[in-house]
Amino acid sequence: MQGMILFAILASTYLMIIAKRMPALIRSFRYQSFCLFALTLIVALDHRQPDLYVVAGLLFVLKVSLIPYLLYRIIKRTKVNEDLGLFINPQLSLLWALGFTYLSWVFSAHLVISEKTALTSFLAVAFFIVLTGLFLMISRMSALAQIIGLLVMENGLFLLASTVSGGMPFFVEIAIFFDVFVSVLIMGLFVYRINKLFTHIDVNKLSRLKG
Amino acid sequence: MLDFFPKQFFLFDPLSIFFLCVIFVVSFPSAVYSFGYLKGGYSPAKITLAWFLFFIFVLSMAFVVTVSNVLVFLVFWEIMSLVSYFLVVFDTGHEKSIQAGMIYIVMTHIGTAFLIAAFMMMYKFTNSFDFNVIKDACQTMPVQTRNIIFLLLLAGFGTKAGIVPLHIWLPYAHPQAPSHISSIMSGVMIKTAIYGLIRFVIFILGVQSSWWGILLLVLACITCLVGIIYALMVGDIKRLLAYSSVENVGIILLGIGLAMFFQSINMPYLAVFSMIAGLYHLINHAIFKGLLFLCAGSVYKATGTRDIEKLGGLIKKMPQTAVFFLIGAMGISALPPFNGFVSEWLTLQAFFLGALNIMGGARVFLVICAALLALTSGLAAACFVKAFGVTFLALPRSNYAKEAKEAPFSMKAGMLFLSILVILFGLAAVKIIRLLAIVASSATGFDISSMSFSLNNFILSPQAGKNVYLSVPLLAVGLIVLGGACFAVYKLFNKTKVRIYKTWDCGYYKLNSRNEYTATAFSKPFRIAFSFFLLPYRKTQKIRESFYHVKSFVYETHTTPVFKKYIYEPLLASVFKAAKSMRSIQLGSIHLYLSYIFVTLLLLIIFMR
Repeated sequence: MQGMILFAILASTYLMIIAKRMPALIRSFRYQSFCLFALTLIVALDHRQPDLYVVAGLLFVLKVSLIPYLLYRIIKRTKVNEDLGLFINPQLSLLWALGFTYLSWVFSAHLVISEKTALTSFLAVAFFIVLTGLFLMISRMSALAQIIGLLVMENGLFLLASTVSGGMPFFVEIAIFFDVFVSVLIMGLFVYRINKLFTHIDVNKLSRLKG
Repeated sequence: MLDFFPKQFFLFDPLSIFFLCVIFVVSFPSAVYSFGYLKGGYSPAKITLAWFLFFIFVLSMAFVVTVSNVLVFLVFWEIMSLVSYFLVVFDTGHEKSIQAGMIYIVMTHIGTAFLIAAFMMMYKFTNSFDFNVIKDACQTMPVQTRNIIFLLLLAGFGTKAGIVPLHIWLPYAHPQAPSHISSIMSGVMIKTAIYGLIRFVIFILGVQSSWWGILLLVLACITCLVGIIYALMVGDIKRLLAYSSVENVGIILLGIGLAMFFQSINMPYLAVFSMIAGLYHLINHAIFKGLLFLCAGSVYKATGTRDIEKLGGLIKKMPQTAVFFLIGAMGISALPPFNGFVSEWLTLQAFFLGALNIMGGARVFLVICAALLALTSGLAAACFVKAFGVTFLALPRSNYAKEAKEAPFSMKAGMLFLSILVILFGLAAVKIIRLLAIVASSATGFDISSMSFSLNNFILSPQAGKNVYLSVPLLAVGLIVLGGACFAVYKLFNKTKVRIYKTWDCGYYKLNSRNEYTATAFSKPFRIAFSFFLLPYRKTQKIRESFYHVKSFVYETHTTPVFKKYIYEPLLASVFKAAKSMRSIQLGSIHLYLSYIFVTLLLLIIFMR
């Protein structure tokens, strides 16, 4: 079951890589977060830890519902072109992503000394998600892509923490959730401001601001 | 938790108490002086700010010399540096203040960086920030680590103390601060660096290699000479005093370096004796440099200029300030019976005693150092003849000087207090040496119960030992009697009439203050003598009406700022060049910045397996 979900996470991440438009990206992010929620729920059922239920609940409320909703709202409000603005086209991005998958697999295989294949694959997927988040931030022009890239990286870190080390301490987890939420709010505000000032949210065009 | 001043953070050994005394001896008269000095020159809000900064400044220095924890020491050290920065830029109206402040804060932070590096190395080895724990743990430290820590400490404290070539900030920062602050900065703040050297190198680290002392002696000799040669050249009176501070730090470090040298070759008596000489000169310098800066401040307040070429004749307008300045100048020129004489005498004695008691190359080295010290004191006397003569004697050279008025009472009170101390520290030398022996023994860790110290350790040959006798009060009485006798003889037998008239000018009848001997002219022989170092050059410009008639003639003479030109400017240029080349990777694109991070991450993943 867990393997299935892990595969779903991987698939949703690949979806993100090939997404050309903002709604598609947000939708895939929602899928990824939902899979993460499902994974946490299964772990919570297995271990019967009340803490994990709360974490899973927060995951659902924030990352599956609230943050995608906010992101959709940003798109609607700013009324910009829904294109993400690709530096690297989907096909090439896919090739990059395959490379990342291989690299993170090799890296995690080196990292885990014992022959626990399950752990290795969890680790590999987590690394892959982190790398993909960063890749999204780099290769997409829209400021929204940067926000989502950061969120994807956070998802990857969450996966890493919850699978490898059996979850971070409860309060740390909660704090991170709220950090992410607040950062989305703030970054959303910035996107509004950028849009208002320059009538676009294309980060590539902001290079004139350098000193 | 609420105990803000836990006992374990403080240390009141004789060394700390001595430095506390130095701080308050100068700060107190400066505070009194600042009543009169600040009044009229600044708005009430600024005066309040000045007082506020003043108190924090003095307090932070007091903490620096009394805390016993490295971290707390660093915190107060930084507070001291920052507050003094704000005091340097206190006259925000001047463009020069901002520039001086910039140089000061950059240099002081470079110094602190060295200190932090040294303290971190100490911590790494000892796992403690407490002075006493570090001291115990340092006994087993490997030589290599020890040497590196010493060099780092020397660079760090040397920047604050103004060891050449790290002295560059002193002549900028000290003149720009308000005068009562200059007197504290020059008199006391740079001494906290000496405290740091004594505390960390001699007290905590312990001197085991003799090259430490020799290195410090060489640096001190260079510092002395460079400081006083530059002091002779400059025309800004406060800048002159700042350069003279560089020189005096050199003399103090001669004593300290000698103490380190003797400590390393295990000669306790001489180590303690040299330390006494260094500490004695330290408190003396605090007193007379404080006094001289206060005098310079009252000259500045009365005339509005610090350029001595525009002053002159002030002895008639400001007689008391002139007397105070003269006392300070005599102290700093090491004339008996004032205090500077005693300490430089002690330092020279320490050199000769050392040269008599050790063999080999070190003997020659010590004698050369002593010779350089003698040269320095000679040049210092010349420098202060220039400073006093051009500022106070002859005719006023400008309207500023003509309009000068004597300083108000509070300013005179501050100067009077320090003048009395200049005389007192000369006359009560024997008592003070005994007190300083306690301080020196606590710093060096040698037992002094079986030693005796006096001014009469100067023994060139065993036979002469009993015949040499020096006592400063007797010397003073002798000088007074001699002077009185000369005066009486002059009064009794001199029958010529005094007629006040113009200087004979070959019938030109137009001699005025423009024809007076200037400071630049006075220092010309020294400029020629030290031309290999000063690299003087001149600019002349003739404007002709016709071939036969030169309408105006401009003549300027300058000296090349060697350290600025050959050390700091190339250094700065290379820093800027590096910064410019770094700029080519900074293109302003967020994606690019993110990809730097990404590439780093990928490389780490690839290479760290």
